[in-house]
Amino acid sequence: MKDNLKYVGKDIPMHDISEKVAGKIKYAGDMQLPGMLYAKLVLSDIAHGRIIKIDTSKAEALAGVVKVFTYKNSPDTRYNSHKWYVGLEVLEDEKLFTEHVRFIGDRVAAVIAKDRYTAERAAELIEIEYEPLPVITNPEEAIKDKGYSISRKEIKSGNPEDIINRAALVFEDRVETPKVHHAAMETHVCVAAPGPGGEITIWTPCQVVFQVRLIAAEVLSMPLNKVRVIKTTMGGSFGGKGQPVLEPVCAFLAREVDAPVKLQLDRTESILATRTRTATIGTIKTAVDQEGNILARDIHMLVDTGAYFTNGDAVSMAMGKKAFRLYRIKDQKYVADVVYTNTPVGGACRGYGSPQIHALSEIHMDNIARALKMDPAELRLKNLVQPYDLDPIGGPALGNARVIDCVTKGMEAFRWKERWQKPQNPGRYVRGVGMACATHGNGYHGGYQDFITMSLRMTEDGGAYLNAGIHDLGCGTVTTMKQIVAEVLDIDVDKILAPEADTLVSPFDIAGTQASRVTFVCGGCAMKVSEMVKEKFIHYASKIWACKPEDIKMENGTVYKDREKDQKLTYGEMIILIQKKFQDDISETYTYTSPANPAVYAVNFAEVEIDTYTGLVRVTDVLAVHDIGKAINPGFVEGQIQGAIQMGIGLALTEEIKADRNGNISGDRFSKYHVINAPDMPDVKVLLVEEGDEHGPFGAKSVGEISTCAIAPAIVNAINAALDINVTSLPVTPEKILKALKNKRERQQTETILV
Amino acid sequence: MALELNVNGVDYHLEVNPRLRLLDVLRDHLGLTGTKEGCGEGECGACTIIMDGVAINSCLLLAHQARGKKILTVESLAQDGELDRLQKAFIDNGAVQCGYCTPGMLMSCKALLMRNPNPSEEEIRIAIEGNLCRCTGYTKIIRAVKDVVKK
Repeated sequence: MKDNLKYVGKDIPMHDISEKVAGKIKYAGDMQLPGMLYAKLVLSDIAHGRIIKIDTSKAEALAGVVKVFTYKNSPDTRYNSHKWYVGLEVLEDEKLFTEHVRFIGDRVAAVIAKDRYTAERAAELIEIEYEPLPVITNPEEAIKDKGYSISRKEIKSGNPEDIINRAALVFEDRVETPKVHHAAMETHVCVAAPGPGGEITIWTPCQVVFQVRLIAAEVLSMPLNKVRVIKTTMGGSFGGKGQPVLEPVCAFLAREVDAPVKLQLDRTESILATRTRTATIGTIKTAVDQEGNILARDIHMLVDTGAYFTNGDAVSMAMGKKAFRLYRIKDQKYVADVVYTNTPVGGACRGYGSPQIHALSEIHMDNIARALKMDPAELRLKNLVQPYDLDPIGGPALGNARVIDCVTKGMEAFRWKERWQKPQNPGRYVRGVGMACATHGNGYHGGYQDFITMSLRMTEDGGAYLNAGIHDLGCGTVTTMKQIVAEVLDIDVDKILAPEADTLVSPFDIAGTQASRVTFVCGGCAMKVSEMVKEKFIHYASKIWACKPEDIKMENGTVYKDREKDQKLTYGEMIILIQKKFQDDISETYTYTSPANPAVYAVNFAEVEIDTYTGLVRVTDVLAVHDIGKAINPGFVEGQIQGAIQMGIGLALTEEIKADRNGNISGDRFSKYHVINAPDMPDVKVLLVEEGDEHGPFGAKSVGEISTCAIAPAIVNAINAALDINVTSLPVTPEKILKALKNKRERQQTETILV
Repeated sequence: MALELNVNGVDYHLEVNPRLRLLDVLRDHLGLTGTKEGCGEGECGACTIIMDGVAINSCLLLAHQARGKKILTVESLAQDGELDRLQKAFIDNGAVQCGYCTPGMLMSCKALLMRNPNPSEEEIRIAIEGNLCRCTGYTKIIRAVKDVVKK
């Protein structure tokens, strides 16, 4: 780890924060292009059926309507929007517009009109008659149906079955996690425009421009080079804008009507017709010895991918792998069954399966601790992985895994020992604490190809231009990259230009902002290419000054020969000399392949207050401890964690997209879908363990996803411990708490009678 | 429908569809796209503006209901190219991530400070209870407002 860092580790403001507070920054929804038309989707209002008749004539007759599209006049191409690189094999089951609707929210038609009010009115005039088909919304019914049960994934190490069969102490739990909406404040939106040479340009708040290009090109049967994708300012994504949902539709519409088209969803459409967090029903069985050492574990996940497959397999594997990287368990089996249901579609969502698997494993760990009458933190300390442990299933080495430090430091900072098992207040309001651990990754190394190309050029005025296909999702990616470049070259961050991804001009990147890879992999590339540029600059400077390269010093935008500080030149002056004398450019292009994929860890401590009359829960205190390696920008890291905790509280307590037997959805708008607001949000304290990872830029590891993986189980554990109940179905709503309290009272009364 | 509106100190004479919400007129007719739409039902606060000193959701108001009122949008906060102290405090405290909720958040906080220059933390939290943010967890936003109060 480098010491005396000047730019890395500092709270430098986000690159576009001034425009953002001024209200001047433009999102895709703010865009206006000459002659732009507006599209409105028509979504299925039944959960399963076939279109018998679709009458668009009234809509087409409305003044201002340009055209209506349905399955009848759109490509029949099936695709999978999860496919993020060309060689990925995926189950392709989605179409632009379908005649066979599979959930409430499935795309049936689109209207294009001169303004959005006309488009909305016309959409209402489309008459559709369906032949209804049987609806399955419950994954446990779906798994029994051949047409719905689609895939099984298995990971195994050792021989867990034998050990569990022989063990004296075996514990079992079942944990359910709901479908959740990402709730980015910007709803899904896209603008597309045809060009004179038959090309299409797509402006979109996306996470992977090259994925958007790929999907749009596949669906429209166009060469990759005819589709240009420009990433716009992101109004929040959290995985929700990861898979291209609107982009292929909007590109198709723009091409067909030969005019720019804007397609923006409203909130209900964003909730129903884009992507959701994959719902799961997990069962877990663990054999332990009397001291609480885990002997073996058996996990089954029923994964509800919704009406289209998208990333059903990938998310199942992602969550399964995590089960092997938190505790030292030699003998363990993980099986996932992926099923369709007639409900909104699953996809990437912050944590990509980690919040689900950790809800299962961490609620279960607390139940084991309760049964063994152990402190749940101590139970974890006995079993957690240690630095440089290997992955028992042959995945990437864990690296400098500091989860034990996170637990011990967190216990102290949270005063865990004092607060845990404090005598309960028998009154109406009951307080309790809980904790949970989680792990996540740093990119795709070990699973998929993971590389990025970047170009860096030092400019004649002493600045630098980083050309890279990066996507800032509002997390500060651009500034983070600048800080890394600045640190290597010793340049003012404000003198660095680092535009965001545009497939026309950005060098290729294989995976975009996914898999918590940006700081670790893209940041690693930014560091490497900066070092190469620095070496080139120093090489020529040493020739000009006829000295050894090691005698050249670069400092704060100026260069000088060792011990001759008075003869210094600015970087720009030196570059002009180099250009004249050697006719070369101080630039490098480098393709960086991720060398590793260390584990990253979070440990969350939470305090809750439960109103036992109403079942309402308030989270009153949270401490988040992170094994971050090194925080490139501590303020951004803190911001990521505080936001992620808000998302996780929602998963624990209030958020759910719930389908009834007929596939009707409750929670399809913010008045019925409860995102935690400011009065209900605790002040989140953040504690960083910065022990550095050898492969991360300046030691850095990921934070964006891991930060939302441990909080929900920590809260559930706090509730269960405080009330001595065992609610394991998320979200833990007041109804579930009151029911559990009632059951407990009845149980106690029965016991009293028996005594 | 003829509509006279006073927005950010400027009088506008417009001809608009009577069905339009104030939000639509601000964005589509006046080009004031700082004000955002996040839910269209008054739950998220992204469209918050100040009308006669009170923070309101511009998605819940028909444009003609704003006749004769003084409307302030996020674009009014900076004066002569200099950001308002509230905007500066948002920058200093890193209270912005994706920025989509920021204009509404700023306007709710501004309305609070206009009527109560010395709010408690609880009052700040209540002032933004109708402004949802998915990025920040609110902590830094509240810190920013407290900073303004302190100064």
